[in-house]
Amino acid sequence: MDEIELVERARNGDERSFALLVRLHERSLFATAYAIMRSEWDAADAVQDALAEAYAKIGALRNAVAFKAWLTRILVNRCYAVLRKRKHDVLTADPPEPEAYTHLGREEGLDLMRAVRSLDLEHREVIALRYFRDMKLTEIAEVLDCPLGTVKSRINRALGRLGSALGSNPFVEVAE
Amino acid sequence: MNCEEIRDDLEAYVFGDLGADRARVVADHLESCPTCGAAYERTRSLIGDLKELGESFAPLERYEVPSAAPRRSPALWGWRLTAAVALIFAGLSVAALAVPAIAQQLPVPVARKLDRLESENERLASEVASLTIELRSIGGEEVPVVQDPETDVPADEALAVQNLAMSFVRAQYAGDLEALRDMGTERLRADLAAHPDDYLRAQGAEVVFAQMTDVALTEDGTYLLFVRLMDSAEWSESQYQENFEIRRVDGRWLVDFMGMDA
Ligand SMILES: [Zn+2]
Repeated sequence: MDEIELVERARNGDERSFALLVRLHERSLFATAYAIMRSEWDAADAVQDALAEAYAKIGALRNAVAFKAWLTRILVNRCYAVLRKRKHDVLTADPPEPEAYTHLGREEGLDLMRAVRSLDLEHREVIALRYFRDMKLTEIAEVLDCPLGTVKSRINRALGRLGSALGSNPFVEVAE
Repeated sequence: MNCEEIRDDLEAYVFGDLGADRARVVADHLESCPTCGAAYERTRSLIGDLKELGESFAPLERYEVPSAAPRRSPALWGWRLTAAVALIFAGLSVAALAVPAIAQQLPVPVARKLDRLESENERLASEVASLTIELRSIGGEEVPVVQDPETDVPADEALAVQNLAMSFVRAQYAGDLEALRDMGTERLRADLAAHPDDYLRAQGAEVVFAQMTDVALTEDGTYLLFVRLMDSAEWSESQYQENFEIRRVDGRWLVDFMGMDA
């Protein structure tokens, strides 16, 4: 059974299939929201809300193939709705324990996430969509509603900044 | 083709969505230009790290334990894994197995859990700290095994159970229903006959045994094992889990139940 079949079943009200879709996507959804929101708690809330919204609306999703982009757009919209209400987009310290999610990867991963979170919004969002959500450039352009060339140059710039921020992994910044 | 144009395409080249013709041009250039070659290596490494990062945060235990009886496997709720091991597997484990109500399958609003988590946090943190993962050679592969300090299953029995689970998974990917039947108890055979599709995996896909738990033993003599898997098929690019209940019948180890989150 592939993901499209799961989406089709979920669209017809099969709760198990929806739950399996949640399992497949929850990690990258959280990483994406965490990169964009910069706060673990806000990110966990955004994922929660996005999944609830997706569950409520999946019956209306016309093209099962578009599920990933559709779910991502729901999440991104949730994140932006919260960010817009904030006066300043500031990077706050990590929240105190307890956490909503746990990091299971290598310890260097936390340094990398910190570097991603320190980027400008326009750069951290493309990094998240491209590598956490594994999306094509055209899909990202659609979700963010901006030109393909902009997505491409932002990704290159963001990689350059991440490379510099990490020091140990210097990436020569590509000229526009 | 100059270096600047090559650099501009490196990201798409690494990501794998550059057209075939263009990818060949880039590959040729990388062969002959050490500077771009070095930039390629850095890009590839960074993108690899980012992709890994995207799958590295798993939800902590955020699901209500259901009161409803599970549909297929009553024994699942009796799994005596330590809290720490359960925590590691919480992202994919018990809640999804057999809960009928969707409300119980979605993450519970985090805030409501805060109080309880706070009180449990200290205990869980100390258990996680004492948790160790060791590489064990199982079925010819090195598999990370989450150790359960409280397990009372002898090492040779644990290895036999883990070997059987691995053979079972390989048969699933080989589409070998005959072999699956042969590894199952009467109960499993009946389920296999009724729902063969539940057992078959992407044919020919490469499978990675990402993690296994130590083997736990229930009071009724069932051996329990979680196996985390990844495969090269498109839809399961993230890990999924198979849960095994294994029994010893007339001296043979047999799979009594296998559930994949359902
Ligand atoms: Zn060059």
